[in-house]
This record gives sequence, structure tokens and C-alpha cells, in this order.
Amino acid sequence: MDAPEGAVPLTLYVPAASRLHRLHPVTKVAGLVAFIVAAFVVDRPLALAPLAAAIAALLVPAGGLPNVRRLRVMFVLVFVFSLVVWTLFYGGRFGATWAGFLYGLSTAIRLDTFLAAGILFLTTTRVEEVAYALGRLGLPYIVGFTLTLAFRLVPVFFDAALAVVQAQRCRGLELGRGGIVARLRRFVPILVPVLIGALRRADRMAMALELRGFNSGRPRTTYLRARAGRGDVLAGAVLVVTTVAYVALWGTGLGLLAR
Amino acid sequence: MSAAAVAVRGLRCVYPGTARPALADLDLELAQGALAVVMGATGAGKSTLARCLTRLVPCFVPAEVTGDIRLLGEPIHERRVGELAGTIGMVFQDFEAQLFSTDVTQEVVFGLEHTAVPPAEMPERIARALATVGLAGFEGRDPTTLSGGEKQRLAIAGLLALRPPVMVLDEPTTDLDPAGRAEVLRTLAGLRAEGLALLVIEHDTAAAADADLLLVLREGRVVARGAPGALLADVEACTAAGIRAPDTCRVFAALGLPDPPLDVERAAERLRAARVTPKPPRFLPPPRPAGPPLIDVRGLRHRYPTGHEALAEVSLAIRPGEFVALVGRNGSGKTTLAKHLNGLLEPTEGAVRLEGRDLRGLALEALAQRVGYVFQDPDHQLFAATVEEEVAFGPQNLGLAAAEVEARVAEAIAAVGLGERDADPFLLDKGVRQRLAVAAVLALRPDLLVLDEPTTGLDFAEQQKMMALLRALHARGQTIVIITHTPWVIAEYAERVVLLADGRLRYDGAPRQFFADDELLAAAAFRPPDVTRLGRLLGCTPLSVAELVSWMPRRAPCP
Repeated sequence: MDAPEGAVPLTLYVPAASRLHRLHPVTKVAGLVAFIVAAFVVDRPLALAPLAAAIAALLVPAGGLPNVRRLRVMFVLVFVFSLVVWTLFYGGRFGATWAGFLYGLSTAIRLDTFLAAGILFLTTTRVEEVAYALGRLGLPYIVGFTLTLAFRLVPVFFDAALAVVQAQRCRGLELGRGGIVARLRRFVPILVPVLIGALRRADRMAMALELRGFNSGRPRTTYLRARAGRGDVLAGAVLVVTTVAYVALWGTGLGLLAR
Repeated sequence: MSAAAVAVRGLRCVYPGTARPALADLDLELAQGALAVVMGATGAGKSTLARCLTRLVPCFVPAEVTGDIRLLGEPIHERRVGELAGTIGMVFQDFEAQLFSTDVTQEVVFGLEHTAVPPAEMPERIARALATVGLAGFEGRDPTTLSGGEKQRLAIAGLLALRPPVMVLDEPTTDLDPAGRAEVLRTLAGLRAEGLALLVIEHDTAAAADADLLLVLREGRVVARGAPGALLADVEACTAAGIRAPDTCRVFAALGLPDPPLDVERAAERLRAARVTPKPPRFLPPPRPAGPPLIDVRGLRHRYPTGHEALAEVSLAIRPGEFVALVGRNGSGKTTLAKHLNGLLEPTEGAVRLEGRDLRGLALEALAQRVGYVFQDPDHQLFAATVEEEVAFGPQNLGLAAAEVEARVAEAIAAVGLGERDADPFLLDKGVRQRLAVAAVLALRPDLLVLDEPTTGLDFAEQQKMMALLRALHARGQTIVIITHTPWVIAEYAERVVLLADGRLRYDGAPRQFFADDELLAAAAFRPPDVTRLGRLLGCTPLSVAELVSWMPRRAPCP
């Protein structure tokens, strides 16, 4: 099939040999969780700034800047939206306030930090490694497998859905006209081919899985065999210190805005 | 003597609710390392055979299966599909459904992990499998970024790593462009060199030429088996079984010459030796239709949001009543250009005008009745419960009165030759669904009809029906643009060929001049139909077997 507008990969993974890439998948998952917890418990912009700076500093050697550029619109939107909304509506009343501005600024930095931490994680971690880490953390194999499959299938599914929408619009289907009932009814010609196509493909995929031994009755082996190294010990130590420090900032109130 | 790779005795398969067995009295023996090609029309039982060998029938698709199937001497009737991984592999037409990972290496690893291969063995197996299919160096790539041919080869590598002695491939090249087809066919040669026994289901006789065994199925039964050269020479039998006999065989049959070679060079030698050489008339380039264009594309440039420039400076005028074939490799910009003709895509630079009016200002829905677009896969648009409803959908969207809708439905259904108006579209054969999709667009009475690969995935009889339909529409004055990879479709049906390469117009003119330009064809990696290649070796450029034969002396001179 000729599909020049073809599926855009959903993954942000950048194959590179940085130190971050080589960390154990469990360390990377722990790192993501630690950053999110740390950024979640404090809300003073001054306390959040070091976290944002740390993520930004890590994105450079990890090769994650092109991903940041790809999602720059999201960064800007999240930032501007948080800042404006909180500045104007802080405390449940309309009107710009200084406290609202500070809170908006911290929320904006925090959300952008979440986003950047997520990008850093996905830049340095294959979906298969995430699945592996989840397995190592005790979750059943099927959880990790489903995650992998979802990342593989979502672009394929969207491609098919796009083709259906185009095909029906070429037959004069107008999606945005009429009342709610009429609009919903107009989704039938889209939903039916998309769903039937997805079911047919799922059926073939189930066959293909078995043909590759998915249900072979033999025990499973694993190719990915991450071993924790000195980098992981170091990273683990930094994560523990950071988390403890931020929990302390929260507990003492030093990291919080005045209420 | 070692056991045959595949030994089938008296195989019979009946799907529930059907009277005629999908397969009956089927015997087959395939030696280790041998290549068997299975051909036949849609519904002949080819896929059922493949699925019986892998136990997908009856484990996944319920059916009553009797008879004896042995792989390497071992009966398989009590085995599950998964247990046979490593004994027999199977590749489908739909390559997207066979990939489960977001990384090439992990894709190959998948089967190894599930069949308890020790991790220490894996790197060597991965490297070897990827090398055999020509994907060495692709480790770590996301399969989403691969071409169709590369995806299909990756699916093969995933099975190959399990080291099965037998592999079944069910139309592995149907959804690929000529370059992808060539890649996969080369890979088959690699698998043979590795010593695998292969059973390949194919519509194209080119894949059968060097097989050890050709098996022709018709309505569930073997109607012919033997060496491909001998079987394909029987043009009538091929046609009866829904196979397009090779051009060389059809030429030789028409001239009454025995033992046709499948190879074009050898066929030319034989004809020269027998002094049967063509005397073609002189061809002048046909006059280009004059008058105002229906669609006028000027300086069209298109850049996708990803930054990829798909079209660079394309100008093209299509006049009423033309039959244009849009050709070029995948990624050359064909579909991108076609989608500009009805406003699905907007030019980054330049303009597309319909009867002088810029499309940019017009709504896609309003354009639907001027430019009809039939997508490659009919299943991307069929949704209704009956044929009639499906065809009525377009006219109803235009807000036409009931009587007018009915008139258009009747006209469109008659034009494409569909019988039952209340049949369920989802239960129709692929070829009929494809014609239904055309009817659904015809009911909009478009001035221009654009079809994306209308013959892909159809068997020969259905391909002929589709093209006969387009020819009939064209004879009534319908302007038609088709995107196609099929050389004989271009040669026999198109009046004008537009070749794109890397987003630029490389050729725009008559098919005969196109096929006579060896340099251009070589640069575009475009392979003309065999009959045209044969003619070129004999000093002329025929577009069909009938044409070449008509230029030959009436009676072969006696030696």
C-alpha cells in the first residue's frame, strides 16, 4: 500500500548509548516515579526549579531534545494555560492575584516537569524494557505484553481509522453538521468499518501470535537481561536523597507556598 | 530415506454450515528443501490448505477436518498451533497483523522467548534470521518506520529464528509494490538456500516459475499438479482455474508452437529460430485530446507535517474522457497527487483547479459529486447491512430526493453488475466488495473517477471483471484515473501513463512510448509486461498478447 502520510511511530525512544540508556529498566521506572513524587509534593516555584533544571540537563545527553521539539506545542500550551487560569481564578474568585500567579507558575513548572520527565523516560527506555521492568517488579507477563502491543497497534489503528474517515468523506459524509443525534448517527459509517477492520486484524493477530509459539506450552525465557551496574547504584542513591529531601521540604512546609 | 517435510493423505475439510467441502481428497508430498507453489481462484481452498497444515484449522477456525497430515513423519492431528511453532511457520498477506513489538530485534526475539530457547543462543539466531531476510543492520528500528516489504521480511525473520523445517506463505506479496514483491521473492530464495521446505500461495505465475511442484486447486480439489513449465503451458486449463497464464505461454499457444519457455529471452530466441517474427504497423504517437481540462494541476508541491516533501513541482492537465494510469514506486507521490484531485489534501504550493475553479475554497463533501475516489481497500468504506443501502449512502448525503436516489442506485448497481440488492456486503467475495465500492462512488455521478489500486488482492478473473467494468465506464465517456502497479493493466487499458519518481513527473504520455523507453523504465525500476518485453527483444512494442500475435505471420513457415 502506498501510504506517504504513513503511521508516525508512537514511541519516543531514541536509540543511543548514553549512560541513562544503559541504566537498569527498574532504575528508570524508579527514577520516573521519584521525580513525579518530588514534583508533586512541593509547590514553591523555587523548590520546583531544581527538578526542572535537572530533567532539562539530563535530556541533553540522552538525545531527548528532538522529542521536546516535537512536543513543544504541548509544553507551551500547558504552561500558558496553567499560568493564566490560576492567576485569574485562584481561590474560586475571578480576578488576578499575586498568590494565584505564584500558584499558577508552580503548577505550570510542575506539569511541564512531569511532561519532560515522561519524555526523558521514553527517550531512554524501549517499551519492551518497560514491560521487562514491570515483570521484574512482580506484575504478570500479560501486563507488560499488553503495553507493548498497545504501543505497536495504536499507530496502525489510527492509520486505518484515518483511511475510513477519508473514504466516507469522499462519499459526501459531513461529520460536523446537524444536532447531536444526527451527528452520532453519522459516526456509524465510520465506526462500523473501523471496528470490523480491527476485529478482523485482531483475529489474524491472534493466529500469528500462536504461530510464533505464544501458546507453545513451553516455559518462557527472556532475552533482555539487564544487570544492575555501578550507574544504577549511583542513580539509586541520588533518587533516594532527592526523594527524602523533597518529602522533607513538604513536611517542614519549606517547599510550600504560603496559604 | 528421511521423511517428507510435508505428507498429506486424503485431506478433507468442511466448514460448518457449508455443503461443499473447502478441501476434498487432497494428497500432497513435499520433500525437505523443496518449493511448492499453490495457485487457484478465490475460494479454491488455498488458504484452507495452509491453515490445515499449521492447525489454525480447526484450532482457530472451526471445521471438520479428516485425513492424515504429517510434518517430518509426525502426525499433527492432536497438536495445538503453538506447539508446532518451530516445526512449521506461516506468513500471511497482512504484514501488520504479524508484528507485535516496537523494535526489530524484539520482534525476532518474541518467538524465541515463547519457545524456551536459551538466551545464550538468541543473539546468533537473531543475527542469522535478520541476515537471511536482508534486514541485517535494522536492529533497534521501530517496525512502524519500515516499508511493507521490510515488514513482511521481518515477519518472516520472526518465524525463521525458530528454525522451522517447513514454512507456509499465504500470498506474502499481494499487498506489496513491485519493489517489495521482488524483496520477498528474493527472500524465498534465501529460505530455500537454508534448506526449508516452502509452500507458497500466489496469484502471480512469476513466483511459480522455479518451483519444484505446482499445485492447482479448483473448488477444493487438485485439478493439476506437476512441473510448472508443463502446467502453465496449458493456457486453457490455467484460465479455467482462474490463473493468468504467463504471456510467453499465451503467445506460443496462439501461434501453435509447443513447449513454451517461461523466460522471455528464451522465448524470443525460440521465435527467432522458428522465424516467427512480428511485422508491426507504424505507430504515431496518438493525438492528445484538446479542449479545456477537467482537472488542472499547476506547480503542485506538497510537504507533510513531518517535513517530508512528497510532491515537488507537478503540473498535469486531465481532459474529459481520458483514461490515465498513475504509476511509480511506493513513496513516489502517486497517492499524494491523487488525493489532491478531490481536495483530500491541500497543496503546500501551487494549485489544483476543477474546470478552472481552485479546489482550495471548496468543501470536500461538495467535491464528492465531481471527483469520486475509490480507496484501495473496500473494507475501509463498506458499512451498511445491504448492497442497496451501501450504494444509496452517497446520493443520500447529497440530499437528493428519494426517487433520484433510487434511480442512481439502480444505475450504479447495474453498471458494476451486482446481482442481489439485499445481499450483506460483508459476506461478499473480495472482488465483489471491490466492485460494490466502485458502485457506491459511481452513484455520486462524478465527472472524474479516481481508483487506488483497483485490482490489488483480486484473483485473475476478478481483476478482469474490474478492468472490463472500467473500460465500459470509459466507453460511456467517464474520465478515469487509476493508481496501479500492475503492468498488464497499464498496457492493456490506459491511454495515458503518468510516472512519478521522488515526487516529480518523470513521464507523461502514451503507454506504447512509455514501454519503448528502456532508459526511463530502467531508471524507474519499472518492469513492463512479459509480452511487451518479448516484443522489445523482437524489435516492436506490443501492449497485449493479442496485439503481438496479430503482427505475426499467419502461418509459421515450415523449417
